[in-house]
Amino acid sequence: MNRTVLLIGIVITAALLVVLYFGLGKDPQHIDSPLIGRLAPSFALKAVGSGETIDLARYRGKPVVLNFWATWCRPCWEEHPTLTATAKSVGDQVQFVGVVFQDDESKIVDFLRERGWAYPTLVDEKGKTAIAYGVGGVPETFFLDRKGNIVAKFEGPMSPQDLEVNLAKAMK
Amino acid sequence: MSRRMAVILMLLGLAAITAIAQQDPQGVKVPDAEQFVGKPKGTPLTGDDLTRKTQDIAASLRCPVCQGLAIADSPSEMATNMKGQVRELLARGYTQEQIFSYFERSYGQFVLLKPKFQGVNTLVWVLPVLALALGVIIVFAKIRNLEKAPEPKNAAAESAAPAETPEEDPYLARVRKLVKGDNS
Amino acid sequence: MNATLGRLLILGSLLVSTTGAVLAYAAGAKRSREGLRWAQRFAYAFSAMMILATLVMEVALVTHDFSVSYVAQVGSLTTPLWVTIVSLWSSLEGSILFWGFVLALYIAVATWLTRNQHEEYMAYSIGTWLACASFFSFLIAGPANPFLSVPFPPVDGPGPNPLLQNHILMVAHPPFLYLGYVGMTIPFGFATAALLRGRLGVAFIRPIRTALMLPWIFLTIAIMLGGWWAYEVLGWGGYWAWDPVENASLLPWLTATAALHSGVVMERRGVLKGWTITLIQGSFLLTILGTFMTRSGVFNSVHSFTQSSIGPTILVFLAVILLGSIALLAARIDSLEAEGRIEGAVSREGMFLLNNLLFVLFTFTVLIGTVFPLVVEALRGKQMSVGRPYFDSMVVPVGAALVFLLGIGPALPWGRASREQIKRSLLPPIIGGVVLLVLGYALGARNGWTLLTLAFGGYAAQVTLGEMWRPVVQRMKRGESLMTATVQAQFNRGRRRFASYVIHAGAVIVIIAIAVSSTTRTQREVSLAKGQSTTIGAYTVTFLGTDIRNEPHRVATVARVAITKDGKPVEVVEPRMNQYAAMREPIGTPAVHSTLAGDLYVSIMNLDGSGQNVGLLLLITPMVSWIWIAVLLMGLGGIISIIPHRQSSFAAASASEPSPATVAETPA
Repeated sequence: MNRTVLLIGIVITAALLVVLYFGLGKDPQHIDSPLIGRLAPSFALKAVGSGETIDLARYRGKPVVLNFWATWCRPCWEEHPTLTATAKSVGDQVQFVGVVFQDDESKIVDFLRERGWAYPTLVDEKGKTAIAYGVGGVPETFFLDRKGNIVAKFEGPMSPQDLEVNLAKAMK
Repeated sequence: MSRRMAVILMLLGLAAITAIAQQDPQGVKVPDAEQFVGKPKGTPLTGDDLTRKTQDIAASLRCPVCQGLAIADSPSEMATNMKGQVRELLARGYTQEQIFSYFERSYGQFVLLKPKFQGVNTLVWVLPVLALALGVIIVFAKIRNLEKAPEPKNAAAESAAPAETPEEDPYLARVRKLVKGDNS
Repeated sequence: MNATLGRLLILGSLLVSTTGAVLAYAAGAKRSREGLRWAQRFAYAFSAMMILATLVMEVALVTHDFSVSYVAQVGSLTTPLWVTIVSLWSSLEGSILFWGFVLALYIAVATWLTRNQHEEYMAYSIGTWLACASFFSFLIAGPANPFLSVPFPPVDGPGPNPLLQNHILMVAHPPFLYLGYVGMTIPFGFATAALLRGRLGVAFIRPIRTALMLPWIFLTIAIMLGGWWAYEVLGWGGYWAWDPVENASLLPWLTATAALHSGVVMERRGVLKGWTITLIQGSFLLTILGTFMTRSGVFNSVHSFTQSSIGPTILVFLAVILLGSIALLAARIDSLEAEGRIEGAVSREGMFLLNNLLFVLFTFTVLIGTVFPLVVEALRGKQMSVGRPYFDSMVVPVGAALVFLLGIGPALPWGRASREQIKRSLLPPIIGGVVLLVLGYALGARNGWTLLTLAFGGYAAQVTLGEMWRPVVQRMKRGESLMTATVQAQFNRGRRRFASYVIHAGAVIVIIAIAVSSTTRTQREVSLAKGQSTTIGAYTVTFLGTDIRNEPHRVATVARVAITKDGKPVEVVEPRMNQYAAMREPIGTPAVHSTLAGDLYVSIMNLDGSGQNVGLLLLITPMVSWIWIAVLLMGLGGIISIIPHRQSSFAAASASEPSPATVAETPA
């Protein structure tokens, strides 16, 4: 029995297997946001439809739900009813804001007309807002507390429960 | 006459459109790098330098919506936007370090294709070098070991064969042994 | 009907392979000849069933039998026949079945070729092959079953992944990759048998070498085809992105290449037996690791088309064979080692050891870089990336060192050499190095590593060509005609030697072409209106307009781009955007105007709705075609080296060699 071979082999094997085991089941596209706990990047963007410029600072003092989405994204369709319904019921305490991610304004307007328009959706300039928020796909939703700090980020379509849990964090 | 009228009308129309376009973005402001990494610390780049440096940096930034490609290599809109932003920041005089830390601030180290030499990341740079050092030691130990090894049993046949036989043929070796009468 | 038949055949092959493995190991332990015969029969039975099962699947695909789950998943009435046939490997379940099919072919052929030979090792070898076969049968029967019955079959299916039907190279790449990956099972079986026996006789070295060389050839070509596919399809003008899946195919190739080299030392000097066996075990383990990386969804890659639940199953298999191999190696490595010796460090043997060091270091670096993000995430819970800039900066020096060895390794004589001899062999090729360096500089190469690679490459090229033709020259000096000398020295007696230099020549060209193409390219991104032109290098590129073409399975928007060089029309290329029904966004396919000097690569970046304006990525990349050609040359060299000796070696040897003293081709 060659002890050296056994020892080196087992160390390498064990390390490799443990790492691969931990890797199982994780989503390789997922990115933890380093922005959580920090002040949300500020912006003032034009809203679709009205053309009004909306500054994020306007909502300071109120928790904000910032949702990046597009009409070409199926999961965004799924969560749209949840978002609009919640926005309608708690709209006086929480501000919902949508940001268009790589899409045409006309398609967004058509979509909102057809499926419900409960809060402003803003047009991003050259994707810079998405980049500043570290968006890696849509839908992606950020939760801001009253002071404008990011307290949570959610990737993918939200169920009403997901929305509720994260809203609670923002409203604390 | 009517042609001239048309031209004038067109020019007027153009002027009106430009006026609106200039007015329009008033108040629109996107998140800016200055918010996060301060004022530019380098000199603004232009022309070929700008293009080259943009390409360099783009090769080291990961496209977040793609599958592991650099933004330099990805045709996606996200990558194009990020490249555009890199270019703009360089043109404003931001340094490579500032640009990396700007993107790192929003995406974390995920966005850096070349791991930083700090913390646990040091391992990915150091381990191959250690492996090289260890390998060199092992190889030289092995060579020394093999040089000292006792002559093999069929040493007669081995050493009788010239040191340099370009054709590697075990059958030849067998023939040799047969001819020499060494049947071990 | 097809589904039931397929399931029965798979269950049959699971049963047969498992029983056969147990029986073969028992026969090996008892050294029973009768048991070995039965093991061979079980091996054939497994192969027959697995091959039949694959045929059943192909029949189901071609006849659009949507009651078979896999056909319902990837079939479509509108796809062309060739796409339907190759969709066997377009998705997870089918590709695992295809794996089983290739394994069945290998096992049947290997069992047949060794039926009356190497009796001492064969029972254990067959046992190991069948053990692997039973794992894959289990995968196909359970977690990745393609033969499930669909109770209410759909009328039509979605068709295979559009990226796969987008280019003809995708037909060729997976089979080669599987032939390479799966083929490693055969040398693994031999190596395991040698370990179980605790000895490795001289006669058994040759089958191990052949069994390793064959999958090496396939893997070499598969890696090239993968890179070529990426180049022709992905639209960014590169062929290698150090993507985890690309790395997964490279890793076993690196260790197999190391094993082929250490095998030469083992054959000539009787040393490094344990080490060579370790490398062979490692190559097989890395193919399984590669499969895990590709199929588990753990890694983020342009090539992972399938994500599924088979990850844990493969991980368990990997763990079992890893631990088994290590235990076996530790137990038996000492009984294999050192029957021979070597005489000096500055010798061919010494260079072989350095070669192995570099290849293992290369493997280790690629492996570390690939899994490191997982390590950090496990330790710190944070995501990070290790990408092309890391691999480039780590691997380029290793590559340069390898070219250096390609030069001085073959230049140095075997055994102990005098200082004078060493000088005489090492100095002349410097001419080749200087020539290529100057040539490269004159043609515009300025990157330091590229120039270094060119210098080493020129040196290596001179050594390789010199060594390649040396036996011919020597024979001619002895009065043989050019014809006889060439046939005798290159294709008859010295075939393996000649083949190895053909492979080396290919490798030198590949490395030079990679260095040159990656550091001297010209890139432009332009926006052109219809009729507008732009220039890049010596080329003028004109956007003529767009066509929309309706094809059965897709709608293509084709941009017609005219290329002229020095005022003369060269070619009208057609980069396109293919819109598939099942995909949201169109897939671009670039067009390449290829010449031996370099490629002009034209890729659509964006296209406005009216077809009046187009954004193009234009790239001039020198020497790219040389990579594909030279890799084929390497494959050809590999094939030459494994063609068995036709003539009886005794007859040939005694005819041409009156006494051992003149055996050597070299004059003393």
